[in-house]
Amino acid sequence: MSKYAENYSLPELMAATVAREIRDGELAFIGVGMPLMAATVAKFTTAPNFNMMVEYGAAGPSPRRLPMCVNCAVNCERAYYTGSQREVMGAQQAGFVDVACISGAQIDRFGNLNSSVIGEYKNPKVRLAGSGGANDLASSANRTIIMMRQDGRNFVEKLDYLTSPGYLDGPGARERAGLHGGGPVAVVTTMGVYRFDAETCEMYLEKIHPGVELEKVKAAVKWDLAVSPNLEVTEPPTEEQVMIMRTLDPLAVYLGTGRATLTGDFEAFMKMFENSYQPMVDLMKSKGL
Amino acid sequence: MRYQPIEAKPGRAKPAVKKVMTAQEAVSRFIHENTYLGMSVSAAPAALIWEIVRQKDRIKSLDLTITSQIGMSSVLIGTGLVRKLEMAYNWGGIEGEDKVFRRAAEKGIPRPIEIEEYSNFGMAMRWQAGALGIPYMPLKSMLGSDIPKYNPKIKVVDDPYTNRPVALVPACNPDVAIMHCARADEIGNVQALGLYGNSDTLARAARHVIVSVEEIVTQDEIRRFPNLTTIPYYYVDAIVHAPFGAHWRESTYYYHHDLAYGLDVYRQFGTQEGYEAWIDKYVLGTADWDDYCRLVGYDRLNRLRLSEQKYQKFGEVR
Repeated sequence: MSKYAENYSLPELMAATVAREIRDGELAFIGVGMPLMAATVAKFTTAPNFNMMVEYGAAGPSPRRLPMCVNCAVNCERAYYTGSQREVMGAQQAGFVDVACISGAQIDRFGNLNSSVIGEYKNPKVRLAGSGGANDLASSANRTIIMMRQDGRNFVEKLDYLTSPGYLDGPGARERAGLHGGGPVAVVTTMGVYRFDAETCEMYLEKIHPGVELEKVKAAVKWDLAVSPNLEVTEPPTEEQVMIMRTLDPLAVYLGTGRATLTGDFEAFMKMFENSYQPMVDLMKSKGL
Repeated sequence: MRYQPIEAKPGRAKPAVKKVMTAQEAVSRFIHENTYLGMSVSAAPAALIWEIVRQKDRIKSLDLTITSQIGMSSVLIGTGLVRKLEMAYNWGGIEGEDKVFRRAAEKGIPRPIEIEEYSNFGMAMRWQAGALGIPYMPLKSMLGSDIPKYNPKIKVVDDPYTNRPVALVPACNPDVAIMHCARADEIGNVQALGLYGNSDTLARAARHVIVSVEEIVTQDEIRRFPNLTTIPYYYVDAIVHAPFGAHWRESTYYYHHDLAYGLDVYRQFGTQEGYEAWIDKYVLGTADWDDYCRLVGYDRLNRLRLSEQKYQKFGEVR
């Protein structure tokens, strides 16, 4: 294994952590952004036989440039299947998706997520995007991994709106509601990694990111957070994992300030896109992909 | 003029006649005040949306049904045309926060908007029920969440076969559907290349269908690969030839997303004044789609095409 990287960003640490959750041979439902980075790292390191499905109708793509949204043309590149959303969403409802990455603006102790509104539903303080496919994946994927920012206010006692189900109000609740997917297995945030207790279904802190203090994590959670008796420090990304992410996303569009750099700068964008081909082809060849 | 929708009836096939027209003609013929409009996201029908904005004084108000939209629905929302939005997701994706949508939903600027929410698959299955001519579809999403709590149209019931809970969503049959696809012949056999989201389903659910395409091809070209036909002619009312018709979004194998442009549009959409200035220049200030493309620059658009085709071209592995 490649040695640990000395220089890496927090988003790179999060993506590498999620990459370690993906097992070889699996079929994963992946959105763009950080989950895509995680999926690419997994494919190029520990899970070469893993493939991803993309929400608007693609399966098994192998792109050599950065996908920019779930219906992006890039998601068709060298794919095994392209076509309808009904195919991929139908397959995931029928249980063909092993793992899915989702996110939210708020989360509660049972891993339920809100990505719809902050404040009252009918008179929102902040209107957010809405479910998209997140509720569908949270309902039916065999397991979900949640990636989100932890800002000190968004790990709440009660959600303003429950968009995507975790374990609802605790043990047995998913079954009673008729949900057949397995629910969340991990929450990877800007502060640490959380798991869910098998008996209580409640989230506990399993790992803490390097340099983050436990008291700060506890202060950023609005309920009395359980902490693993074997609390570990999150494994840093390896040099190879960081190299893979920076090859696919050299301007840190997803993992840094790339979007600001590219706003209105067509030449910089096209240069990034046109020049992505050879480094990615070389990387794929070196991995036998 | 108040639009009188035609009642959908089984067997209402559109004839196999030439249907090629301009976006201006298609929009003025089929989209009117209070039209219930379905919009596909893959690919984004930008050329048709720009034309709807140009005719906004005549159209006045629309009810919109979408699954997930990135940017394009907000081009309509910012004009004040949208009274109601049935949706799963409306945001900027990689372009970030959708300030147009936030202003409408939080402050009623430029107009209060009624929002009816589903999950993505939930909304897609409403179109599916509409396409199949049945009253509803059952699905295993949205159970246990707050989505049905705030949307009484979603019924959570026990399935009569297994006695397990399922969510029912009602059929959706929009008056008009708009979408952008790869190619079609003159009578409206439409072929999508690459991923096409729910455009096939939406076309089957709607009473009238307007499709803009990158290329108009011969009937023989359609007949070479009839299994690529995602929408046969009998669903289709109008074919609009609009090369680059999804810009700033993508059309698989033709050109990719113009991210530098999209990010800049979203920056301008940050304020209502910025939004209006952009609309004035790029939509109301252009006579038609070709005029818009000239303003953006065909050099730029062709570079997006070359860049896309460096990576993928239909029928080849690159």
